Amino acid sequence: MVVVGLASCFGCQINLTNAEAHLMDILSQVDVEYWQLTSSDPMPEDFDIAVIEGAVTTKEAAETVKALRGIADTVITIGACANTGGIPGLAAEGAGYEERIAAVYGATVPAACGTMVAPSAVGEHIAVDYEVACCPVEPLDFARVLQHALYGSNVQQLTATLCGECKRNERGCFYEDGTLCLGLVTRCGCGARCPSLGRPCKGCAGLSADANLKGARAISAGCGIPTGRFEEVLRIFNHGEGGGDSTEARSEREG
Amino acid sequence: MLYRVIDGSELPLLVEAFLERYEVIAPVQTKKGYAFAPVDSFDQVALDYPSTVSSLKKYYLPQRETLFRFDAETNEVLDLEVEVRPRVLFGAHACDINAINCLNSVFEDARYPDPYYEAHRRSMLVVGISCTPTSECFCQLMDADEARSGYDLFLQDIGGRYLVSMNSVEAANILETACNPRVATDEDRRAFRQATRRRQESFNPAIPDIQEIPMLMDAFHSDAFWDELGERCLSCTACSAVCPTCHCFDIRDVLDPDGRIGERERVWDACTSPQFATVTGGHNFRPTGRERVRHRMYHKLNGFLATHDRNLCVGCGRCVRACKANISPIEVLRFFEKKGAEDAE
Ligand code: SF4
Ligand code: SF4
Repeated sequence: MVVVGLASCFGCQINLTNAEAHLMDILSQVDVEYWQLTSSDPMPEDFDIAVIEGAVTTKEAAETVKALRGIADTVITIGACANTGGIPGLAAEGAGYEERIAAVYGATVPAACGTMVAPSAVGEHIAVDYEVACCPVEPLDFARVLQHALYGSNVQQLTATLCGECKRNERGCFYEDGTLCLGLVTRCGCGARCPSLGRPCKGCAGLSADANLKGARAISAGCGIPTGRFEEVLRIFNHGEGGGDSTEARSEREG
Repeated sequence: MLYRVIDGSELPLLVEAFLERYEVIAPVQTKKGYAFAPVDSFDQVALDYPSTVSSLKKYYLPQRETLFRFDAETNEVLDLEVEVRPRVLFGAHACDINAINCLNSVFEDARYPDPYYEAHRRSMLVVGISCTPTSECFCQLMDADEARSGYDLFLQDIGGRYLVSMNSVEAANILETACNPRVATDEDRRAFRQATRRRQESFNPAIPDIQEIPMLMDAFHSDAFWDELGERCLSCTACSAVCPTCHCFDIRDVLDPDGRIGERERVWDACTSPQFATVTGGHNFRPTGRERVRHRMYHKLNGFLATHDRNLCVGCGRCVRACKANISPIEVLRFFEKKGAEDAE
């Protein structure tokens, strides 16, 4: 297995190491051949599993992910940046990417930045077999996905949205007092952790493939939330409306 | 069944007596509502709670329950110690007792007895309490506003005192030891009739009383009404999560972090979940919200009746509050009312 970091805060990789009690248990199921965060050993020529964190923000990164796909049987993306473009993807929102680059770097972009392109999800460049959701990922979610890749699994990937998990936590609802929450359209799986800590969902797990955006916009507007506000929060992790891939594409990949 | 009367001031004694021998689950106030949760004194019990966000089914059918553990390397089933605590569910409303009766008739079906469910149920005493309907309650329309069975004690508030129906020896013994139950007088019975009438009169009159619901469910099975609901549905499964009678589950195997030992677990599932009717090979029998919402309502208001002789909706109103898209059995009743009015024109 190799672990590769693209444009990201490295928080997902760090969070994997935070599963201290289980880290060795998890990693003992694979040979970790390359992981810059933990060792300076170079990338091997051959490997079975490529784990990718981060968004594609340069031509070089786009080449890297294609090369990884060419070698690995299994590609796992971890975290919002890799899955949806995440926070880096905000720079690609609407028009104005070039101006944003200029505003940060001035006339000449330093060579170390590489050839910058509008940030995008890994899945826009190559086929991704498995995604580990959220910002950052939960280490035990990563363990489950890795085990799914290694041994197969009868656990279905659900596209139901978050409100059901929130109700399983026996919580009230943010909309009762007119607070926007993206649980209406965000795919389930995280256990509605933010809402259970008193924070509305911002959609870091990605839009559900079955998200009903039209219905959700109507509900939000009906609770007196200005329309622009819904779009603004949605954009943090889900760029354009196509943040989630289709059920068919996903089930095909997860075969 | 025996009826006795106890004084309101004796109720704490009853709860304290239960607490000596059982874990007591009762309605408690939470930040934004009420929930059933363990209590350790009578003071924590919210006796006159309107309803809870989710129901008592979690004590019969936990959200997640380990069925057995296995060794993933040798493929052998390992021993599993199941600890079931003796519990008292204190303060269940009639609708919720009727909901448990629905679950019982599914999980205690002699052809497919469910040992996990039975273990929970056997360890449970149920103490019901009378209530005042909220504006979303329609249990009377679902024939679930009175609990005829399924409880050990039922406390009917008759003004400062309770008329107690006693249905089990175990609970009756505890009641008799903790309190001084007395025989009901004519005055008590009058107060009981008045309390019952008051409850019956306080249901929300805007929720239509429809006759022959199962027949109408069949007649309007292909109506565009279901497209409308389907388009609104968010596929969130909040409805089934809060519903006291929704009991579908999924079974799956999960491994420990090291991949050596696994657990076969049962988790709540929901027919409003997009993958619910997906079968091997990938075909989904209910691919859209229209089919999923319709299926849920059909099972509630038609399908279950045929095999279990009762509705699978007890009119508790929880999904009415939980669904952001305003989809609920009440909307179905309103639709039938509208159709009826159109017919009459
Ligand atoms: S009917 Fe309502 S609560 Fe149920 S899944 Fe649809 S939107 Fe969610
Ligand atoms: S369908 Fe709704 S009203 Fe009926 S029992 Fe379930 S949660 Fe209560």
